[in-house]
Amino acid sequence: MQKRKLFSLAASLLLTGSLLAGCGDAKGGSKDYPTKGIEIVVPFAAGGGTDLSARAAAEYLSKEWGQAITVVNKPGASGATGTDAVLKQGSKDGYSVLVHNVSSTSALMGGKSDLTFSVDDYQFGAQIVEDPLAFVVKADAPWKDLKEFADWVKANPDQLTFTSSGPTAIATFSLVEFLDNVGGDFSKARMVTTKGAADSMPKIAGGHAVLAIQGVSESAVIVKSGKAKMLGIIAKERSPYFPDVPTVEESGLPPMKAKWWSGVSFPKGTPAEVVKKWEDALKKASEDPAFQEKLKAINAQGAYLNSADFGKFVTDETAHYTDIATKKGLRK
Amino acid sequence: MDSLGMLLHGFGEAITPLNLLMAVLGALVGTLVGMLPGLGPTSAIAILLPLTTVLEPTQGIIMMAGIYYGAMYGGSTTAILLNIPGEVSSVPTCLDGYPLAKQGKAGPALGIAAIASFTAGTIGVVGLVFFAPMLADQALKFGPPEYFALMVLALTMIVNLAGSSIIKGLIMGLFGYLLAMIGMGPSGSPRFDYGNQTLTAGLEMISIIIGLFAITEVLKGLAERHAPVPTENIGSVYPSAADLKKSAGATIRGSIVGFLTGLLPGCSTAVATFLAYDLEKKVSKHPEKFGHGAMEGVAAPEAANNSNSSAGFIPLLALGIPSSPPLAILLAGLMIYGLQPGPVLFEQNGSFVWTIIASMFIGNIMLLVLNLPLVGIWAKITKVPFGVMAPIILILSIIGSYTVRNSMFDVFVALVFGVLGFIFHKYHWPVVPLILCFILGPIMEQSFMQSMAMSNGSMLIFVQHPITLAILIAAVVLLVVSIGLIRRTKSRVKEIVGEEMVIAD
Repeated sequence: MQKRKLFSLAASLLLTGSLLAGCGDAKGGSKDYPTKGIEIVVPFAAGGGTDLSARAAAEYLSKEWGQAITVVNKPGASGATGTDAVLKQGSKDGYSVLVHNVSSTSALMGGKSDLTFSVDDYQFGAQIVEDPLAFVVKADAPWKDLKEFADWVKANPDQLTFTSSGPTAIATFSLVEFLDNVGGDFSKARMVTTKGAADSMPKIAGGHAVLAIQGVSESAVIVKSGKAKMLGIIAKERSPYFPDVPTVEESGLPPMKAKWWSGVSFPKGTPAEVVKKWEDALKKASEDPAFQEKLKAINAQGAYLNSADFGKFVTDETAHYTDIATKKGLRK
Repeated sequence: MDSLGMLLHGFGEAITPLNLLMAVLGALVGTLVGMLPGLGPTSAIAILLPLTTVLEPTQGIIMMAGIYYGAMYGGSTTAILLNIPGEVSSVPTCLDGYPLAKQGKAGPALGIAAIASFTAGTIGVVGLVFFAPMLADQALKFGPPEYFALMVLALTMIVNLAGSSIIKGLIMGLFGYLLAMIGMGPSGSPRFDYGNQTLTAGLEMISIIIGLFAITEVLKGLAERHAPVPTENIGSVYPSAADLKKSAGATIRGSIVGFLTGLLPGCSTAVATFLAYDLEKKVSKHPEKFGHGAMEGVAAPEAANNSNSSAGFIPLLALGIPSSPPLAILLAGLMIYGLQPGPVLFEQNGSFVWTIIASMFIGNIMLLVLNLPLVGIWAKITKVPFGVMAPIILILSIIGSYTVRNSMFDVFVALVFGVLGFIFHKYHWPVVPLILCFILGPIMEQSFMQSMAMSNGSMLIFVQHPITLAILIAAVVLLVVSIGLIRRTKSRVKEIVGEEMVIAD
């Protein structure tokens, strides 16, 4: 008994300790920010791509600044819970930080009209990571490339099943964009709702659904195992991890905009000096080989964008997705 | 790579210091909770579930698995020394174990129990190595309709886990499913949220489990008051060669019975131990000795107990079907890590699965080492007063439920379910069906929706896919068989104990 108690107690103390580290209340001017521990909220469960990139950034920055940076996961409601916790309930002094991705931001705001926050509540910091989206099908599927697939979809619109984590997920939006580009019919496509890549990849490999559109990093394992193949990726350049897979444009199709990204933001009203400090530090990180190595381990590509560019991109993307969702009757 | 190669790789992983430590901790905690009356493996795993937020998946599951099979060892100690079966499955061990203890042969009886447990546990894991991959080979053939059928099969388990009344079990199952519906549905729209942002995130599985198992345990302890138990001198635990020879056959037969019943998803451990004990009595040349201190009568049910618990990992890992309450909580643990058990688990997380299996070999060896020389010390621990345990369990429960999502709401949920669990216990409403449906209901719904998307709304998809149809038929057969077996075990329990007992609670 003793041993179990001690162990559990030690573990719980460790837990509370690490939590408390994130909520000190010493006041400090924003000039010499940060003067105390910072709390990063990730609106998804631990272990996903966004969480891992947040942890990589937290580790780098806490060394850089000599302050503890704690990553706290607040999953739920497709990311709305954690986003609300920072943007609406967090402090506006730079000690309450959100690491978010396309699904919890543009796709979510595009698809839902009843959220507690809007694009105006963000003080955008910087984009950290980009992960191009890939078209993944079964390994022995009859199509050689994306062009052949596009022709098949046009000829057999009612045979297309695709995996997506919901009607307003990035996979759905990119399929709409793809089908509009090649002249397919989205209203005939059937969505097999999954709980993310781990759930959807076996369904593709086993032939239970035809197409998945998801990040290269999430598809890498099963594609490398030879059970599924990538027809193409949505990017300007080929992925360094799959140099043989052509881009959409190289396949002779109109270019596409959809991408998976993650970045850092604050509640609106956070001082400009603080934002500048994060921008500079993340820019420095993007040039740091050790940090890049960390991202490589999770098959992600570092892609720094400064506050202004990142903000403009997300604002445009949100408007774009809102437009798509409204037109296709997906917006609720 | 073939199973053996994967297993060797698993051993390589399992003997890394941290994984080894987790296996030892799990085995230790398991032995302890198996011995402590009023704190079973189910509650122990429930209390430690929040540790999943800090531990890596492999370490977390190694520890929880250790608690599970470790408790099977611990249970025999109180059964033999004190005639207190920690769980119904230990009742047959009491029958001959306690008479042996009274004859001053407590030590050898404990020794035989430990050796039988070890042998059977090892046989069970060997079986796991051969059987699980056979199922797992079919991994990619398992799509949404197949998963739907699996969930139907798994939910027939409610009948086995329902305890005294199947109707009550079904009602609790439906209640569990209703709770699971709170939050985002599979189509992405919130249900039962009453316009409340907190509720759209759904109820946290860990909070409910901590409430129903850990906090309820505290309330039960306060209400029922455990009497401190006396411990006597037990003598040498090393059985004589004659005792070993006598019990060897019983151990093997018990292991086989336990293993086969463990394969049948839904045969509770109690069914296995009673079957093994009865079988041993039938094949024995001296059936009259049973009940008066026959070594075989200790060896057979203990062996069945342990091989049954190892075999239970086959339906759990390969099909996602938990055959006992602690395994249902373990299933929750896997789900929290995003590891959905099922054929695909072997495909995608082969290294993880084999590390767990390898750690079970190691854990069984450790348990033998812990149990033989140290059994006297363990016996003293049964004296820890509940007044010390209760506040610690309560504090750990509150911290645990908070840390999962860093939300006070979750603590509130845990407390509410603690009180609910106590009321359920008082009026004999089984809580395991609730948890089972809370965990499996959403998977069933999701795979149903996915199947409908695949077939464009035609229900025929469930009979057109051969695997799906086979599983659905198996579900019906199993249902009939398990109802029969439960009836039989219940009447045997009544014969021995003299009163109706809840087989799985």
